[in-house]
Amino acid sequence: MDYYLSVATFAALNVILAVGLNLISGFCGQVSLGHAAFYGLGAYAAALCAIAGLPFGLSLLAGGLAAGACGAVVAFAAVRVREDFLAIVTMGVGFLFLGAVRKQSWLGAEMGIANIPSPLDRWGYAALATGAALGLVLLSLHVRRSWMGRAFDAVAQDEDAARSIGIDVAGYKITAFLLGTAAAGLAGGIYAHLTQLIVPDAFNFIESISILAMVAIGGLGSTLGVVAGAVLLTLMPELFRVVNEYKLLAYGGLLLFVMRVSPGGLAGLVRRLTGWELP
Amino acid sequence: MSLTLPRLLLAAAALGAPFAPPAAAAPNIRIGLHAPLTGFAAADGKSALQGAELAVAQVNAAGGVNGRKLELVVEDDQARADQAVPLANKFLGSGLKVVISGSYSAPTRAAATVFQKARIPYISAYALHPDITRAGNYVFRTSFTGEVQGKAAAKFIGTILAKKKVTLITLNNDFGQSLAAGFRSVAGQFGLQIVNEYSYAIGDRQFGSIVASVKRDDPAVLYISGYFFTGGPLVTQLRGGGVTAPIVGTEGFDTYEFIAIAKDAAEGVMITTSLDRDSTSPPARRFIDEYESRYRTPANMVAASTHTAVTVAAEALRRAGTDDPAKVRSAIAAMRDFDVSTGRIAFNELGEIRKAAQIQIIRGAAFHHYATIDDPVLLAPPTR
Amino acid sequence: MYYVELLLVGLVWGCTYALIALGVTLVYGLLRILHVAHATVFTLGAYVGVLTANHFGSLAAAFVAAALVAGALGPAIYRLVYQPILDRPPYVALIASIGVVVAMEDGFRLVFGPYGESFSRGTALTATYAVGGMIVSLVQVCIVVTALVLLAAFSLFATRTRAGVAWRATVSDPAMAASFGVGVRGVRYLCFLIASALAGIAGVLVGLLNGLIEPGMGSVISYKCLAIIVLGGLGNVAGTLVASLMLGVVESYGTVFLDNVLDRDAIAFLFVIVVLLVRPQGLLGQRR
Repeated sequence: MDYYLSVATFAALNVILAVGLNLISGFCGQVSLGHAAFYGLGAYAAALCAIAGLPFGLSLLAGGLAAGACGAVVAFAAVRVREDFLAIVTMGVGFLFLGAVRKQSWLGAEMGIANIPSPLDRWGYAALATGAALGLVLLSLHVRRSWMGRAFDAVAQDEDAARSIGIDVAGYKITAFLLGTAAAGLAGGIYAHLTQLIVPDAFNFIESISILAMVAIGGLGSTLGVVAGAVLLTLMPELFRVVNEYKLLAYGGLLLFVMRVSPGGLAGLVRRLTGWELP
Repeated sequence: MSLTLPRLLLAAAALGAPFAPPAAAAPNIRIGLHAPLTGFAAADGKSALQGAELAVAQVNAAGGVNGRKLELVVEDDQARADQAVPLANKFLGSGLKVVISGSYSAPTRAAATVFQKARIPYISAYALHPDITRAGNYVFRTSFTGEVQGKAAAKFIGTILAKKKVTLITLNNDFGQSLAAGFRSVAGQFGLQIVNEYSYAIGDRQFGSIVASVKRDDPAVLYISGYFFTGGPLVTQLRGGGVTAPIVGTEGFDTYEFIAIAKDAAEGVMITTSLDRDSTSPPARRFIDEYESRYRTPANMVAASTHTAVTVAAEALRRAGTDDPAKVRSAIAAMRDFDVSTGRIAFNELGEIRKAAQIQIIRGAAFHHYATIDDPVLLAPPTR
Repeated sequence: MYYVELLLVGLVWGCTYALIALGVTLVYGLLRILHVAHATVFTLGAYVGVLTANHFGSLAAAFVAAALVAGALGPAIYRLVYQPILDRPPYVALIASIGVVVAMEDGFRLVFGPYGESFSRGTALTATYAVGGMIVSLVQVCIVVTALVLLAAFSLFATRTRAGVAWRATVSDPAMAASFGVGVRGVRYLCFLIASALAGIAGVLVGLLNGLIEPGMGSVISYKCLAIIVLGGLGNVAGTLVASLMLGVVESYGTVFLDNVLDRDAIAFLFVIVVLLVRPQGLLGQRR
């Protein structure tokens, strides 16, 4: 039971990360290769607050705010560069964050931050993570159908056209980043309390790629698709335990296969088979 | 005599006896092991697994534990904390009574919390983050912490090599940083002067800028932390760049792969470790020789550490006479003077070991004994 | 002398980056795809090279074998991975490419083992020369010379040969080129062939420089190459070269002087981000 609980908790965290990234890359078309850095930012901020004695809720809030604030800053850079450049800039942000953390002893350097207090039990974390994931999914579904969602769509399709009809492209890009990265920060805070030890390596470029893979496999732009993608990829190490030796080979092959066969991910597959547009 | 029915039956029974099912054997004692079998740390994971499997085979060949055979239950954690935690829960769910970590520090530390809460004895084979044993009294470590190793190196360089000007080249991770911290903390005690300190990332293989800097510094000796896949290239490039100062490395280099990469550059490199290839102690010899014959490759430190951890677990089970976790824990904690492949085990109240450090040197493309640092005060592990 | 030596080290690193990044920028220029899977041909070239060298005792054979095998894999990747998805949004090719890298890295580990390979004593270039107070190794010289020769050859090819001109035409305007009778498909295969062959040779060179060839050696370099081609101005060959050399030098000085502040990759990306903030189109890119 505990095993399934912890898998479920990590799945929920991944859902938060993926849905958040979907807001940025799927809804608003801003490809971000550094999402794990915001996960890490939230984790570190929450960990520092918790160790300093702040109550659990405030630590989590601090994590979300710190990540969101940095996300907004990165978004200012996103405004100046476009498309492929943005991918590299976000990748760079990820490396910068890690590189800086690794060298600062007050952030634990390579040792990371340990002995983070853990006020909840396994059921508590599972409930918290799932609840947060659910909340984010609902928010995401709402945004999609709202005016903001349409504006995001316009920005994603054709920035110049959107700008020409008066949409505040910069403002919406920043908003998307803010929402997506704050969500990642919240997940980071939960992660920090759950594992009680955070190290820089947990938030590296590979992790960013994994989150992007969840979004791509789920279907960029589709909230429910992305949820499915996140859950699927979290369960993959479990599903693949039988062929453990070939786990990464299979993972890479899966990415390749999905992109070849159904670039719209699971949502695209559903669309093709049933005609239904997965929201 | 005539074939009466009773005799017929007896004969039938005698004939059938080999085909009758044997009396039910006592169920195996299952020990959990998690290691990075895939991913960037797969090389160490493989060594850890092999060391553990050898230990289990040796224990079973000697009759098992309390009349039962040992069985290893292995999981791959890819050296990640977010994989290790669910795996720890999985181990608990399947009723394992003792678990060994054959993995790196982050996953071990994360899993340690889980095992401590569940009151299951957990032994870290070679992960050296200090917080691992601080998780609680059910967590033990059968290898040195980074700080202790660093101190041993400082004493070695100061007193035996009798060099004073040192340049540190440190791997940027918990392993390297803790070694450097330990080294620095006692450097003054042995009259060492740290000329300069450089660091590199675990993915770096090109050290041209560090080599140029070391040449400018011209130290009397180099103290380098890293793994074989960083140390091998680094040492090759240092020697290739014309640096002739003696090199003292750490147990991360304690594997034949290091020599295979560095070749001639490895000649004369010294390392701090716990495995003495020239050891005459029976447990060490049994490990070294059987590992080589079983796996067709020389033994290394990661394998030795994991072998030690599994052996300690088996011995504790034997001494406790039961697999009740609390009793096993007490048996582990009470160990004094238990000889294993990596020395003599004696745990302190934090679950850390106290033992001497080995210095090995590479001569003729093989590791040999060079010195032993036996200083209980200096090498005392943390107690809190 | 010390600072000159650091400069030399940086230029050597820059040359290896240039050989690899050139391939990535060529592919981008032609197809607007971020060819992360370039790491795969690089690593394969390195493995083929080291195994050939150790088996036959000849480094020359190693280079030829590496170029041939890598040069064959490149177009195969194009045909099997990219060609079917050319009309999709760009992230599709990127994710597919990442899938190839992840899968192949594990594939290399499974086939060649996790411990890696190195050049045997007979083939490793260990000679060193004392030059003006510095010690220069044969490997470093080899890398710089090879890079210069290959890049010069490529430049000649692009400007003086029919195939090269056809290529540049296709990059500028595929439709126009096609209407002039240029086999666009042939140009694409040629592009991947050349890019991958260069990467394969770079693999052997890096293997000689590092002293170790391992399954994951391509990954970090390939992501860094993305940064390089963006820094140079996407699709701009000269820009890529300049960016490669600059990045190598920045890393060389940075790893020593910024050691306490940032690690090597962070230094590289910081440089890239700063430049992009000042010049969003890259060093030599055209402002759109």
